[in-house]
Amino acid sequence: MGKFILQRVGAALAVAWIALSAAFVVLRALPGDAVDATLARTGTSPAEVAARRQALGLADPLWRQYAAYLGGVVRGDLGESLVTGQPVAQMIGQNFGPTAALAGSALLVGVALGMALGLAAGLAPRRAPGWLAEGVAALALSMPVYWTATLAIYLFTVVLAVLPGVGGGSPRQLILPAAVLGFHTAGSIAQVTARSIRRTAAQDFVRTARAKGLGEADVTDHILRVSLLPVIAVVALQLGFLLGGTVVTESIFVRQGVGRLLLAAIDNRDFPVIQGIVTLTALTYSLIHALADVLYALADPRVRVEG
Amino acid sequence: MANGWRRGRLRAALALLAAAIALAVLAPWLATHDPRRAVPEEQFQPPSATHYFGTDLLGRDVFSRTLYGGGRTLGVALLTVLIALGPGLAIGIAAGYGGRWLDAGLMMLMDALLAFPSLILALALIALLGSGTVQVALAVGIAGIPSYARVTRAAVIQARSLPFVEAARALGAGPRAILWRHIVPTAAPSLLAFAGVTLSWALLNGAALMFLGYGGDIAAPEWGVMLADGRAAFRNAPWVALAPGSALSVTVLAINLLAGGLAEHPADG
Repeated sequence: MGKFILQRVGAALAVAWIALSAAFVVLRALPGDAVDATLARTGTSPAEVAARRQALGLADPLWRQYAAYLGGVVRGDLGESLVTGQPVAQMIGQNFGPTAALAGSALLVGVALGMALGLAAGLAPRRAPGWLAEGVAALALSMPVYWTATLAIYLFTVVLAVLPGVGGGSPRQLILPAAVLGFHTAGSIAQVTARSIRRTAAQDFVRTARAKGLGEADVTDHILRVSLLPVIAVVALQLGFLLGGTVVTESIFVRQGVGRLLLAAIDNRDFPVIQGIVTLTALTYSLIHALADVLYALADPRVRVEG
Repeated sequence: MANGWRRGRLRAALALLAAAIALAVLAPWLATHDPRRAVPEEQFQPPSATHYFGTDLLGRDVFSRTLYGGGRTLGVALLTVLIALGPGLAIGIAAGYGGRWLDAGLMMLMDALLAFPSLILALALIALLGSGTVQVALAVGIAGIPSYARVTRAAVIQARSLPFVEAARALGAGPRAILWRHIVPTAAPSLLAFAGVTLSWALLNGAALMFLGYGGDIAAPEWGVMLADGRAAFRNAPWVALAPGSALSVTVLAINLLAGGLAEHPADG
């Protein structure tokens, strides 16, 4: 087991390093002139631009910039914003809380709702609860977040007038965006859960259990123990959707957060900020992926043997 | 098991998708108004006999904009899938068929790209490429390449170990001939099914970038842009967002049902 974890963490680190390098090439090496343009647009004179370039290390050869960038990431230094001059790590830090709260609660909603829908669709197929669950999951996968959010804001803040709509800060203002984002996260989780349950229910050992006279409740228990494993993997995968979804959700609900910071940085062509956010997202995502793999291996010994 | 129900569902999905495509293609003949012409004095008119779906903030006809928007939105999604498909297929085939080291290296690179959530990668690419319709398709498409490469590689590896492919190798067929005559045709159906699945993802992500305002042309009839316009006025004029929102959801739903039904079929049947 120790060897497996070591291998998995090693692979995650290698992937993270390549991801960091890709982010460097795409967002630093390629848009070299864009940085000049950004500085010029903020009203900086050519002489000052040259000075700023020097100060930001943009005049150095690329390999030195790359080394400085990697070293900075390791030390938690992501550079400075071209627009405000504020350290990027500090900017992300200030916006991290609301985004983590949104993503975390949306994940909770998504896992709870997705498992419930998946259980209903998997255990009661071709009956009313199964159909209803499948229908809701299909809607979650088909409707765009920005459309559901529009409808939800209208329903809960105008028609029913029970929840605050846009804005961020108070816990009550978290309910609606977390529910909307969680609803869409639930779609894939429900589908994978239902499919996994159906596949397990068709296996020989389930027939054997029924044949030897085991009660339906115990059979269900047997099925669930086996079929809920793949759900771990899809939850980890959904995190990517969730991190992307926070951008749209924050923009619609006018919530402070990393997503809106990213959108503002894109509008300003503030490449260090974009690079910092993208890098941090990739690191978080691959770390959680590695964690999910290890969890999976802990739960299912076969994975360890094959891996 | 329940083949009638499944076939009915597939048929309904196919009909919906065909209708969406037909409406988009026939937009120039079906539209009642110029989708871009603003008539400020007819702002926010509710649905009526002259404006079937009402008018928006600038007095533009929502019905005509929705029809034209379908062509634009579906076109961008199609372009997105094509952009992701080419390099994805090439990388997947190279990895699945090109030997151990090439496989390990390419897949490591793809894994690294998969570490970026696709919408965030697409947004970062927009920062690099700038706003615009083609740029949106490029950004979402490039972000989709690693998934295609992974699926292609899996399909190629699976096809490579099939008995008739091994027989062809035993008979002395060259690797190139085996690849094009046996492996690619064998893997093609599952790859096509996957392309179908990703069309819905391309639609949603492309329209999301449009919604966020990166489509360049803000007056263009496009479902994401229209949703952004309609959202602001939803309280007083819900019809502005209702048409594009429903159209986008129904189209994606049809694609999902179709792709899901096709993917389920061989496994269960």
